[in-house]
Amino acid sequence: MLIVLSFLIPAVSAVHVFRMHDAEKRRSTVIWTMIASSVLAVLAGIFGEALTFLPLSDTLYLRFGTDGLSLFFVTLVSFIWCLVQFHAFGYMKHEGKEEQFFGFFLLTYAALVALAFAQNAVTLYMCFELMSLASMPLVLHNGTERSREAAFKYLGYSTLGACMALLGFFLLGAQGNDLSFTPGGAKLTGDPKVLLAAAFLIILGFGAKAGMVPLQMWLTEAHPVAPSPASAVLSGLITKAGVLSILRCAFQLFGRGMLQGTWVQTAVLTLSIVTIFTGSMLAQREKVLKKRLAYSSVSNVSYVIFGLFTFETFGVVGAFLQIVFHALAKDALFLCAGSVIFAAGCTKTDELRGIGRRMPVTMWCFAIASLSLIGIPPMGGFAAKYCLARGALAGGSTLGLVGLVVLMLSALLTAFYLLPIVAAAFFPGRDFEAGQPCEVPKTMLVPQLVFAGLTVLLGLFPNGLNAVFAILNGLVL
Amino acid sequence: MMLTLMVFLPIFAAVACYFLCRRSERAGQRLTLGVTVLIFAMALSLLRMPELTGGVGSFWGLCGVGVHFCAGGMRTVMAVLAGFMWLMTALASPEYFDGARLNPRYFMFYLWTLGALLGVFLAADLMTLFIFFEMMSFTSYVWVVQNETPQALRAGETYLFIAVIGGLTMLMGLFLLENAVGALSFENIVKKAPKMDTGLRYAVGVCALIGFGAKAGMFPLHIWLPKAHPVAPAPASALLSGILTKSGVFGIIGVTCWLFDGVEGWGLLLLVPAVITMFLGALLAVFSTDLKRTLACSSMSQIGFILTGVAMCNLLGGHGSIAACGATLHILNHSLIKLTLFVAAGVVYFNVHSLDLNEVRGFGRDQPLLKLAFLSGACSIAGIPGFGGYISKTLLHEGIVEYCEHLAEHGRSAAPFRAVEWIFLLSGGLTLAYMARLFYILFLAKKPAHQHRKPGRCMNGMTASVLVTGGILMPLLGLTPHATMDRIAQYALPFFRREPMAHAVHYFSLTNLKGALISVTIGALVFAFVGMKWLTRREDGVETYRSVWPRGLDLEDAVYRPLLRGLAFLGAVAARLVETVSALLVLSQVNFIFLGAKNEVVPPEDPEFSAYRTRSRRSRVERSFSADLLYAACGVLALFLLAAWNMAR
Repeated sequence: MLIVLSFLIPAVSAVHVFRMHDAEKRRSTVIWTMIASSVLAVLAGIFGEALTFLPLSDTLYLRFGTDGLSLFFVTLVSFIWCLVQFHAFGYMKHEGKEEQFFGFFLLTYAALVALAFAQNAVTLYMCFELMSLASMPLVLHNGTERSREAAFKYLGYSTLGACMALLGFFLLGAQGNDLSFTPGGAKLTGDPKVLLAAAFLIILGFGAKAGMVPLQMWLTEAHPVAPSPASAVLSGLITKAGVLSILRCAFQLFGRGMLQGTWVQTAVLTLSIVTIFTGSMLAQREKVLKKRLAYSSVSNVSYVIFGLFTFETFGVVGAFLQIVFHALAKDALFLCAGSVIFAAGCTKTDELRGIGRRMPVTMWCFAIASLSLIGIPPMGGFAAKYCLARGALAGGSTLGLVGLVVLMLSALLTAFYLLPIVAAAFFPGRDFEAGQPCEVPKTMLVPQLVFAGLTVLLGLFPNGLNAVFAILNGLVL
Repeated sequence: MMLTLMVFLPIFAAVACYFLCRRSERAGQRLTLGVTVLIFAMALSLLRMPELTGGVGSFWGLCGVGVHFCAGGMRTVMAVLAGFMWLMTALASPEYFDGARLNPRYFMFYLWTLGALLGVFLAADLMTLFIFFEMMSFTSYVWVVQNETPQALRAGETYLFIAVIGGLTMLMGLFLLENAVGALSFENIVKKAPKMDTGLRYAVGVCALIGFGAKAGMFPLHIWLPKAHPVAPAPASALLSGILTKSGVFGIIGVTCWLFDGVEGWGLLLLVPAVITMFLGALLAVFSTDLKRTLACSSMSQIGFILTGVAMCNLLGGHGSIAACGATLHILNHSLIKLTLFVAAGVVYFNVHSLDLNEVRGFGRDQPLLKLAFLSGACSIAGIPGFGGYISKTLLHEGIVEYCEHLAEHGRSAAPFRAVEWIFLLSGGLTLAYMARLFYILFLAKKPAHQHRKPGRCMNGMTASVLVTGGILMPLLGLTPHATMDRIAQYALPFFRREPMAHAVHYFSLTNLKGALISVTIGALVFAFVGMKWLTRREDGVETYRSVWPRGLDLEDAVYRPLLRGLAFLGAVAARLVETVSALLVLSQVNFIFLGAKNEVVPPEDPEFSAYRTRSRRSRVERSFSADLLYAACGVLALFLLAAWNMAR
């Protein structure tokens, strides 16, 4: 029951928030809903009991339950969501239509939590679609022609991906399989060729959310037009929901034994490598800051998929580390980008010259998050990259080696597209007139500081995380 | 514990220093000085603590890989040297930075870099070394751009990118190595290296060489060095040139002596860029018309000398002690020399506000202290007998000669190494030539009439004490080689994995003096005919110093930047292609899904999506997309209720 409550409360509260026009009241409602449901979600992750709903047939039913993965994901999502909302309170004053934003903000959160607790393919699919629908208005928020196009692109890609995944589930279901998630694989029966094809379809489909080639285009359209807090959660967490779906299906439905060494593994690894390269390369050509960050997400989320599909302990642990540190760093970056838009109105990268003098704290957060994203020790990105690289090499395959080279190339490109921003922001030149300081209010600063601080702190001491991920690894491999 | 403290104390102090400096600059400078004194004292005490030698002090699971430190041998020598350099530059900094803007940030990164550098020198394994190496690259970047002139920003950009490229390449090498041998401690590498696949071993080596070589300023990755060192503030230049480049050399020594012990091919691979660096640096220095740029190019050349010694040490195998001692001592000497010379250049700069040789000429005619200190440094770097530089260069030279003899004994042709020997002597000659030219211009030439000059004394007591210390140490070391320098070298030898030298070298014997004599002769000739004739134009008794180096002949502008741009373009084309193909794949599908439904959902007359405040409550429910979602949510809710009822039954 805890589980159901943990996502029903924000959903119901969201409906309420749509109708609240009093800013103070709305704010306190959102804050308390978020805090209560976060606590509830984490408690549900620990103590929740499995529930089965709507048994339409003996293989078709909804099932919510919890395991280590759910707990991990719910904790991450709740934590980041709670912090981002504080930034959003400040930022959305500048965008307007706050009741709409916070309503869908809560609704998306509810869908994400439900997704994390989904314990079979049907439930997962349902939550996935709900999440796409609920988060789409976040992109649409501005209501301009461009944001409308971007939002429909986002919805279209998500739906297309989900349809592909659904097709995969049909293929499995047609063979009479029960699609519940079990650690190590659900002992699927049927023609191996069809099973593999289904696996590929599902991974490709959910890969749309994770920004994997060929369904990555929505990311770079949606992020620049969405309000910054929305971009932050889209990029940091909703892409990870795609990863979680892939993880559930590939490892807990098919299982490592069925996929390792097959063409599916090769294809997914290749696609993720291509994505890593494409994303970084295009980010480096991009001039609009948020679009650059979006391309960077395309590249960075595929690190996770690459790590998972090495099927090595190191790779999987690295993938989890990358989930955490990319979420923290990218959210910090988007929030900083948001603060810059909010306070100084700059959206292009070359307008950011000297901004470090005007908004020192924000740009320090930006710098730290950038270094983490590149993978410079002692920031968290290094710990993730270290494990990913070990995982890539451990199998001894050529593809692993290629992956390592592309990882390094991507890190280099990340340095190329992020460091000049930081350098120009802090070192604008001797006679540069920076203008008045215009640091954002404290409520907007704190989330950035927490995210940036955590990338350093957890980066310095990632062993606690590593221990957690070693346990999760048992659920995956 | 002590080693950990040595590394982390400056890092924490750096942050404190920043905030202190913002409140009171004087207090910040005092803190800086205090920390450097403390670190120098701790480094010295390492010499007296044999129990720390080889002992590993690890520090939790920092960065997920664990950080391990150990002291002893070369590590202690380098730590002491770093402490000394920082102490000296801390003494010289207050005057140089007096009244300048943005000092808090400089002092913060000044101390931070000290911690990072000590981390590099005291690292017990390569991963630790890498972590601090990266940190050092980023913190020292701030030094380069501190002045924020256009040149500084551009040099900083080059510096940062070379550092990042080098760092990531090295990291890749480390990953490959770790995958092959397991733990990256030096002992483990030595044990497992011979069993490694040769191709892999060289791949790792080349990756590491690129990383460390980039920092050391080795050809062809030297391009940042002659640009970045001159634009930094003088005390920072002294550190960049004198000791930061040595972290790269330190790493190369580690790779050479621990990973490639007894592999001759590696020695040859290292020797080629080392010799090119040695000669090219000297050549660039001769043609430079900027005081600090000359010194920076000279640093590059001297790094080439040191690396040549390292390569010879590898080639000579078990007999490499002489070359190893030469390399160690040249590291030491070069640091002292560059400390003195750059601080002297700093004195020139904050008096005249220029580094152009045409404007600073004759500055030191009436400055005896500056003149003597500079002379001492110049003599030492040129290898004049009686100064420290002579001792180390003799040892390096001896190393090459010994290898030639070794080859002759085994009936192999020594001709290429004879050539190396001559390039070595020639580079030594060029060193003398450009130092003599600098000395002539600064201290003997006539002052230009309009030379701007700060009123009052040209330097304060603290800066003078730095110059005196440096100026005295060099002849002191050079005159007592057996009592001082030999012992330092022997102390450092275990890091090279070489036995102590079998017999003491007679530094002042005729054969050894002969090498110096050849160099001095070449240098005098070059100085007289190139420096004074070709590069100097005399009109009406006024000398001008010409820059004849072709502007287009710049590796960075002519090759690297276009190459990088081209590669980035190609990569972007490939990436755009991937994007287009995937977009085409999807485009038709997306259009199919929506069937032009756009206009249905958002009425075209209402561009403000769901801006329904002006409408009636009724139309809000009917027409907005969010209402549709609400219906969906209600449906789901109903399903849940149904299910709950189902279960209750």
